[in-house]
Amino acid sequence: MSTAQLPPQPGESDRGAAPGDGLPAHAPATYYERPLLKKPHWEGRVITYLFLGGIMGGSGMLVMIAGDRPEREADLARSARYVSFALAAACPIVLISHLGRPARFLNMLRIVKFKSVMSMGVWGLLAFSGPATAAAAGQLARDGVLPKWIASLAPRALTNVLLGFIGAFMAGYTGVLLSATAIPLWGRGKLFIPAISVCSGFAGACALNAALLALCGTDRTRHKLEHLERIASVAEFILLERFRRRAGSAGDPMFAGERGLKLRRYTQLAGILVPAVLGRLPFGGRTKTLLASALTLAGGYVLRETLIEAGKNSADDPRAASRQPE
Amino acid sequence: MGSGFFTDTTLCIGCKACEVACKQWNQLPADGYEFSGNSYDNTLELGGTTWRHVAFVEQPAPADAPPADTKWLMMSDVCKHCTHAGCMEACPTGAIIRNEFDDVFVQPDICNGCGYCVPSCPFGVIDLIVPADYDAPRGFVSDGRTNDDATQRHGGVAGKCTLCYDRQKIGLVPACAKACPTESIQFGDVDELHARAKARVEALQSRGVSSYLYGVGENNTVGDLNAFFLLTEKPEAYNLPERPVLPSTRQPAGYAAVAITAAALALAGWAVFRRHA
Repeated sequence: MSTAQLPPQPGESDRGAAPGDGLPAHAPATYYERPLLKKPHWEGRVITYLFLGGIMGGSGMLVMIAGDRPEREADLARSARYVSFALAAACPIVLISHLGRPARFLNMLRIVKFKSVMSMGVWGLLAFSGPATAAAAGQLARDGVLPKWIASLAPRALTNVLLGFIGAFMAGYTGVLLSATAIPLWGRGKLFIPAISVCSGFAGACALNAALLALCGTDRTRHKLEHLERIASVAEFILLERFRRRAGSAGDPMFAGERGLKLRRYTQLAGILVPAVLGRLPFGGRTKTLLASALTLAGGYVLRETLIEAGKNSADDPRAASRQPE
Repeated sequence: MGSGFFTDTTLCIGCKACEVACKQWNQLPADGYEFSGNSYDNTLELGGTTWRHVAFVEQPAPADAPPADTKWLMMSDVCKHCTHAGCMEACPTGAIIRNEFDDVFVQPDICNGCGYCVPSCPFGVIDLIVPADYDAPRGFVSDGRTNDDATQRHGGVAGKCTLCYDRQKIGLVPACAKACPTESIQFGDVDELHARAKARVEALQSRGVSSYLYGVGENNTVGDLNAFFLLTEKPEAYNLPERPVLPSTRQPAGYAAVAITAAALALAGWAVFRRHA
């Protein structure tokens, strides 16, 4: 049995006395290497929700960015409104199905709790779906599907701003939700994971909307959108690298071994660098956009999957769990 | 101040009467007959349907010490009923409450099984109970209702020690404390237990046994634990965190990171669409 003490963690020397200081130093450092924490039970559906919710929020941001210039970027505002609405409809279905029985979702609505990130997220989703529905209905009216008068019900100036602000929250809160747990990896990423979530959701929204514009939009807007996507993706890449360096050994479940390799291959290489290079090539046109978008979206899913699965492994490490990150 | 447990590990004899009494009273299913090889501990951990867990540490003497220095530690672990409870803060439905005895209680008829409390407990206590684990759940009294409905028809609920809310309601001592033959588990008013525990640490000190209280007066964000412990080894030897942190304390930093990143991206978007216009 190991008689070693816990190795000192970076930045922990100034934390004052710990419980049990001054006792004879031959205690085992862990309890039979048993996990100290319980791991989350979340899997495919929650990962899907994190992925779709990020794109939904990013699309809301795009509505605000493009929406106030109707004559020029009307096609982007249009597709972003439809995407926001479609995902605002899909996300609750994914969330509810994970609860086992649909009626249990209603329990979320009996309380507004600022301390619970999940409660904030549920209310954020509801708050988003209102303007998303109004904006999509208005868009349908302007597109001639619904009667014209519907467009005047919700002023665009209002829905654009609401979708932008609530969308930013929806893209990022899932990162806060993860880091506000006892899981060591997620706790270490209290700044990085929320920031990466926003970047990835925003890049995903750019990719999905660029794909839609490739099918029915102007080249001019699509190129701008791809440029914006590159900015968000490269920021995501840099944040991932910084997180890897800052997390130290607590980051191993995410960045080391096969999972780390998968993250580098699918998210950082195929999902960020390849689309960025593709976008710079002077040929390819719409097909290229569709391919790049598919790669970016797949990379975004792998990022969410890696975060969740790595969190489960992180919970299994009793040493990391004993001295929890501030 | 509310009610709680003082678990004095120097008195524990590892009989597991607390585990059995808890299972019996709360009608929780058995954990199976798996052999772990980890000393006498085949329970292994607290869980959704395991609310007391006796840890066994067989600790060989150091090489330079006489063999009599071998330690044989037992400790009955339980939900800590934290002053600032991570599970309770995480719960989006308000199912997890602090009851009139100042204990942290999961209302099974309100819990919707979202599972957010599970990774939010800094002590790894609370877990989901899925219906397959749980045959005939009865006995959780919450305003006179039972949770038959909650677990049978739903996809699972969170489960952990109730500090025998139902027994306390009718003036009884929780099942584990009642069954403990050595008074290693003591139940009572937390202030009173603190005084008793501090006297016990001093008494042990005078006999040359170093010990300390875990979960009392520590400078951390979870605050005092209503269920606290007298330990003779470092916390991690018993699978307790040396430094538990209340997870919600990371929220301000996270929200700030979201706001800054989103603002930067929005600015970039504004610049991109303006520049080309």
